Amino acid sequence: MIDLDNRLIKKSENNHRVKSPTQTGFSSPATHYSEPRIDLNEVLVTNSSSTFFIRVADDEFKEHNVLTNDVLIVDKSLAPKLNLLVLATVDDSFKIVRIDQNATEVLNIWGVITFVIKSVL
Amino acid sequence: MIALVDCNSFYASCEQVFRPDLINRPVVVLSNNDGCIIAANKEAKALTDIPMFQPIFKIRKLLDANNVTYFSSNYTLYSDMSRRVMDTLMTFSPRVEEYSIDESWVDLACLKIDNYNTIAHTIKNTVHKNTGISVGVGVAKTKSLSKLANKYAKKIPKNNNVYVVDSEQKRQHLLLQLQVKDIWGIGKKHAIRLQNNGIHTALDFANMPVAWVRKEMTVIGERLWRELNNIPCLNLETEPNAKKGIGTAKSFGFKLTDYSLIEEACSYYVAEVADLLRQQQSLASQIEISLQTNQHSAVDRQYRNSIGIQLDTPTDSTVKLTKEALKGLRQIFRPGYRYKKVGVNLTQLVHQKEVQTNLFHNPHKSESSTITNVIDTLNGKFGKNKIKVASVGNRSKEWALIKEHRSPRYTTQWGELMTIGK
Repeated sequence: MIDLDNRLIKKSENNHRVKSPTQTGFSSPATHYSEPRIDLNEVLVTNSSSTFFIRVADDEFKEHNVLTNDVLIVDKSLAPKLNLLVLATVDDSFKIVRIDQNATEVLNIWGVITFVIKSVL
Repeated sequence: MIALVDCNSFYASCEQVFRPDLINRPVVVLSNNDGCIIAANKEAKALTDIPMFQPIFKIRKLLDANNVTYFSSNYTLYSDMSRRVMDTLMTFSPRVEEYSIDESWVDLACLKIDNYNTIAHTIKNTVHKNTGISVGVGVAKTKSLSKLANKYAKKIPKNNNVYVVDSEQKRQHLLLQLQVKDIWGIGKKHAIRLQNNGIHTALDFANMPVAWVRKEMTVIGERLWRELNNIPCLNLETEPNAKKGIGTAKSFGFKLTDYSLIEEACSYYVAEVADLLRQQQSLASQIEISLQTNQHSAVDRQYRNSIGIQLDTPTDSTVKLTKEALKGLRQIFRPGYRYKKVGVNLTQLVHQKEVQTNLFHNPHKSESSTITNVIDTLNGKFGKNKIKVASVGNRSKEWALIKEHRSPRYTTQWGELMTIGK
């Protein structure tokens, strides 16, 4: 229940402003070129309030290159369009479906899959 | 215009988002410690022979017989889902008042729209699409009317969970359809008194002379009366008021006789409330500790006591508060009882900046606030209670709440994600 979010966010690294030089000798020639480091949260999660992470428990979905222990990033806010990969419910269980032109069955779509995280360790 | 957006059976809905197999099936959620049912969805409420607020052990068989799925409360999940709903509402209007975990007012006056029906449906559909939570939307010119509109939206299936009071005719219709007891802010006592005076519907109340209302129900009743007559009296509050007291009292998972375990639980709760205290930038001048046995047990000897400790100077330091709390606990603890519950209550709160210091003490800003800051930062980064006062100990399994049927914390724990396949 205790909301620690506010304390977690470390703003300084995500600052787009030019930083004042920190060098004690020659000021860095890069002063005006520094940028915030890449933050995967910004890249992979566009709508955080509608994005969910879902783990895959077996190889049932390997036709979509989704294997055991992969984590799907699913955005419920996106409209399902042709050729998109979606998470749908069929008979009370989850399926991964690619929306195709000839789809005959009416899909109960849970959300649109935007990325698949794979660990290759 | 103001929209009141209210989630339908919120706790059960949160569970169902991640369990599509439970859609259209009865679901109930149990209180902390799996004591009794605190929330039920529409399907579960329809099973009239299931008594609400009954201890679970008494009705478990009944639930199983009716195929009711039950969950321990998963407040971590509900809190995150609530955040998602609120954030979605913020995309419609910059002015949102979060009234409770599942209810918000959205100010639509600042939007340039003329069709409130369309926007109300859009809000409902967007929240459902983005979060999986279904909501009802009541739109009206005042807070009290929008609250009634919301109630009516859900009451009549034809309304499809949306009701907009955008004409005098619809206002009259709404007030005629609802009873005085449905009016937000009218308690049971007032409702009975009004009914005894022949005032039954909300419209009867709204049509009374204002002087009569003021005389019978003071200025508070008059404010309600005005609100129902389309005159806004209650403003949207977008900044939460600081709490005047912060407390917690939770039952142990087991009855405890061992003082050292009760001490651990007590220290843990002190840390929790002290954290909330700091988040609202207050200091506590008094801490109250209470301890009790199980009042419902016929076989146990009963004991309950509480103690209030006045602090020299107001503080927000977990270390100081724990020290004082345990001093108090030691005074009220009597050996030989089976204890059920310990409570911690911080009272006489003052804002950090408005503190009166004691002539003989250093100002409250001392070395302890530096330590507290470091602890908060570390816990913020690595997780709740990673750094703790030693008296919290590590035997929480021996006293913590029982949450046997809690669902995974799908959205906040990487190790508890929803899984698909198999």
